[in-house]
This record gives sequence, C-alpha cells and structure tokens, in this order.
Amino acid sequence: MNYIFHILTMINIYLILSLSLNILVGYSGLLSICHAAFYGIGAYISAILMTKLGINFFFALPIAIMGSMVLSLLVSIPSVRLKGDYFILTTFAFQIIVFDVLYNWVSLTKGPYGISGIPSPSFLGYLITGPVKYFFFSLIISILCFVFINIVLKAPFGQVLKAIREDETLAHALGKNVTKFKIQAFAVASALAAISGVLFAHYVTYIDPTSFTLDESIFLLSIVLIGGCGNIKGPIFGTFLLVIIPEILRFLGIPDTIAPNIRQIIYGLLLVIFMYFRPQGIAGEYKFE
Amino acid sequence: MNLILQFLFNGLATGALYAIVALGFGLIYNTTKIFHIAHGAVYTIAAYLLFSAFILLKLPLYLSILIALFGTAFFGILIEIFVYKPFYKKNAPPVTSFISSLGLYIILQNLIALIYGNQVQVLTTQPEKTFQLGSIIVSRIQWLEITTFLIISILFYLIISFTRFGKSLKALSDNPLLAEVVGIDIDSSRLKIFAIGSLLAGLGAILSALDTGIEPTMGLPIVMIAIVAVIIGGSSVFEGALVGGILLGILQALSIWQLSARWQNTVVFIALIIFLLFKPEGILGVRRRLEEIKI
Repeated sequence: MNYIFHILTMINIYLILSLSLNILVGYSGLLSICHAAFYGIGAYISAILMTKLGINFFFALPIAIMGSMVLSLLVSIPSVRLKGDYFILTTFAFQIIVFDVLYNWVSLTKGPYGISGIPSPSFLGYLITGPVKYFFFSLIISILCFVFINIVLKAPFGQVLKAIREDETLAHALGKNVTKFKIQAFAVASALAAISGVLFAHYVTYIDPTSFTLDESIFLLSIVLIGGCGNIKGPIFGTFLLVIIPEILRFLGIPDTIAPNIRQIIYGLLLVIFMYFRPQGIAGEYKFE
Repeated sequence: MNLILQFLFNGLATGALYAIVALGFGLIYNTTKIFHIAHGAVYTIAAYLLFSAFILLKLPLYLSILIALFGTAFFGILIEIFVYKPFYKKNAPPVTSFISSLGLYIILQNLIALIYGNQVQVLTTQPEKTFQLGSIIVSRIQWLEITTFLIISILFYLIISFTRFGKSLKALSDNPLLAEVVGIDIDSSRLKIFAIGSLLAGLGAILSALDTGIEPTMGLPIVMIAIVAVIIGGSSVFEGALVGGILLGILQALSIWQLSARWQNTVVFIALIIFLLFKPEGILGVRRRLEEIKI
C-alpha cells in the first residue's frame, strides 16, 4: 500500500514540475532545458536552511521560492533575447553550471555526499511523515499549485504569453514588453519548480546532486513534449505516462541492473517517434515552428 | 614560468581534441542547421568500435583504428538516412529535429550501456610514453593530438578553398534553397557531410579513448564543449570551430591552474553565456542583425 502512495506522491511532485515547465515550453514557446536546476535549487535551499539553521518548513518554503525566482534572473536575462538554438544553449549552460555548483561547493552543499537527515515538515506540532500522510500533504500543495497555474494562464498574463509565442513582433507592436513577460514567465515557472524541489527533499529526507542533472531536465522536457504542451491536460497525461512506465517495467520483471537503460531507451524512442508523427504530443495543442 | 608553459601546452593538446570534434559538429550544424546532439553518441560509438576491434577481437591497433573510423562514418550516414532525412523531407521545424537528435542520443548511449555495461573500460594499461620538449613534458598522445589537429586543419582548408565540394559546403551554409536551385545535389551533399562530420568525431574519440579510457556517457560532455567551441569561434564560418576548440582547451588549462580541475567545465559554460550576451556571432563570425540569423 505504501508503494502505491509513494508513486502517487511522486506523481504529485512531477505534476507541479511538468505544469510549470509547460508555462515556458507550451505557453511561451521557450524550450528550456534547465528545469531540474530550479527543482534542485528549491530542494537545496530548503534542505540547507532546515538542517543548518533549524528553520521551520513553512518558513523555508517561501525562502526557497524567493531564492529560486531570484536565481532564475541569471538565466532569463541573458537568454530571452536570443532565439532558437541559442536560447536552448543558454539554458543548457545554466543547467550544467548549477549542477557543478551543487556538486563542487562542498562546504555548502556537501557536494557528492549529499545532505542527509532532512526533517519532515511539521504543522502545528503534527509531524507529516511516511508515504500516506505525505501523499495527502503533497496532494494539497499540488492542488494549490494547479489552481494557481490555472488562474495565471487564464489571466491576461497567460494570454499575452501565448500571443508572444505565436507572433513576437506583433505582440511587441501591440505594446507588450516581450522581454519583461518572458522573464516573468521564467520566474513563475522556477518558483513552482522550487516548490516541488522542497516537497521532494522533505519527502526522501536525503538529497544529492544526481537528482538534478541534465538528464532530469531532459526527462522533464520529455514529459511535456510527449504528453503535449500548450494546455493543461497535456502535461498531466505526460506525467502519469512517464512516471508510471518504470513501474510497469518493474512488474515485467526486468532486472534492476538494466532497467534504467531500458527506461531511457523508451523515453528516447518516444521522443523521436512523437517529433516525427505528432509533434504536439498526445494531448497538446502547441507544436514548435 | 615552466609551470605556466606546461599548463598552456596541456591546454593546447586538449584544445586540439575539442577542435577536431567541434569541426565535425560545426560542419553539420552550419550546412544542415541540425543541432546534432547525437554527435556525442557517434563519438561514443567510435570509441566502442575501437574497443571491440582492438580488445575483444584482438586486431592490430592500426587496423582497429581504420575499422572504427570507417564504421563511425557509416554510422553517421545511417543517422542521416533514417532520422534526419525524413524530418528534412517533411520540412519539419528545426526544433523537432533538435529534439529527435536528443532522443537519438539517449537511445544510442543506453544501447551501448546495455551491450558493453556502464563501467569504464581501458584500452591500454601501460603508462604513456613521454619525452621532453625544452622544459615541458609531452606525452605521445598529446603529440598525436596536436599533429592530427594540424593535418586536419590544413586538409580542411584545402577542401574548403579549392574543391567543388568545398564550394557547395559554403553555398549550403549560406542559403540551402539557393544552393539547390543552382544544381547542388542536397541529398548526396548531406550524406557526405554526415560521413565527414562523424569521421571527425570518431578521430577525436579514438585519441581520447587511447588516452583516458571509455564509458557510455563519455559523449555528451565532449559534444557540449564542442558546441560551445563552435559558438564562441563563430558558428557561421567553418574555421570558427578550430579557433574555439583551442581557446577552450587553453581556458580549461588556465582554470585548472588557477582554481581547480573541478571547475573546468563551469568556466566553459560561463564563457558561453558571456559570448552569447556580448558577441553572439563569435570570434570569427560576421556581425548580423538578430533578425537575419536564420535558425
């Protein structure tokens, strides 16, 4: 039973990640390959605050969100003016720099050893621990994020992003500050990614840089591209599909030594096949031009 | 003083390796506009072909190297025929071929891991022979890297400047549609481009395999550096990759000397961001308005 709740908790975490990445990829047309960096930044900020300074979870969470938003400026300011491949490259570079910092700044992040003993969140003296309780906790947070994302995307803000995606020059001509909107989209998406990072860190209670690699960013991008982007249901499809595939492999009895490789091959194949036959993904409405 | 010279020389040798791989990537990127991340997988395949021929089949080294080089070129052709060409014929947007290239890289890397295992393999166990050159120590592999770099640069210059194929490369890089109009056979040019580009990746892989050993994940880091080399050297000219590669090698050596080896990749990507911000056309590139850059 715990096993099922564990999977559901991971789905909650990944739902926030994919829906927030969708704000960039699907709504703004910005193919970002550094989402795992913000996921990691959130996880690390809150883990460091709680283990080193003993700050309460509900104070650490907003600090992690703010930190991630501020750091998002480091990638959004240089990148949003660039187009196509150059934009993708900048996000690539940011992902690698963040990973290197997490891995090499040993005095702060303990580098490859990771941070262990991250306390579970407690609410008014009630400790939220174990898969079942944590599932309901993560469910509440992911519903809140879901509602927030819905509001943001239905609001004029989301509509302007779509307009920029469709025709940047036209949006500019209509008096929209394209650069500012893109930077804001980055900030919102990275704030949400930080929330899932915090959820993840306090769920598994041990984090190390290998959870926030380039591969993880590519995985998140695959969720959004295979599920489809530009609307809400696409990333939700993608999350369920791609988080559950490894579990199916487990039930098929594929040995653990080769399971990760098989899983990656499946993701890669899905990416190539979808890009050729159905670039908008399973349920998406936006395809790249 | 000797220490600086030694670091600079090491940087030059690594840079030569980067430059060779980057030249292959730049050639493909410049003419086909495909952001060929799977170049990294091609690189890994070359190393494993060498490993299979030299260690598993116990063939002589020179024969193994030839097999690896031709095998890699052939593999590049297969990738073009079965992956990129269908996208090209469909007139698919460049982003989709970029993503499928990423997918292809993931597939190939993990197939190699399934076949050969995830662990590091070594090709030679005896220590590398070294000799003195003035006050610096040069290993045989470093010597080989720099010589290969020089030969490739000269050959490439001759091909670009004096052959019909070289002219068609320039034409494709400038305007593929117009190139087709004036009678350049795009399909066969693309096959040649992928064969040569992959061959260059294979050359780099063989040099690095003989030096440090091989593993399935070896391709992506080096192709990322090669991409950075192409951008900072100037992605619109073929020679940019050579200049960028050497510069990055030296930059890494300096950062090992001043900071620590752990930050050598961070420095490369910070350099990339600085270039994209202030000089996106690269060192040798011609300055264009942002709108003119067709991607």
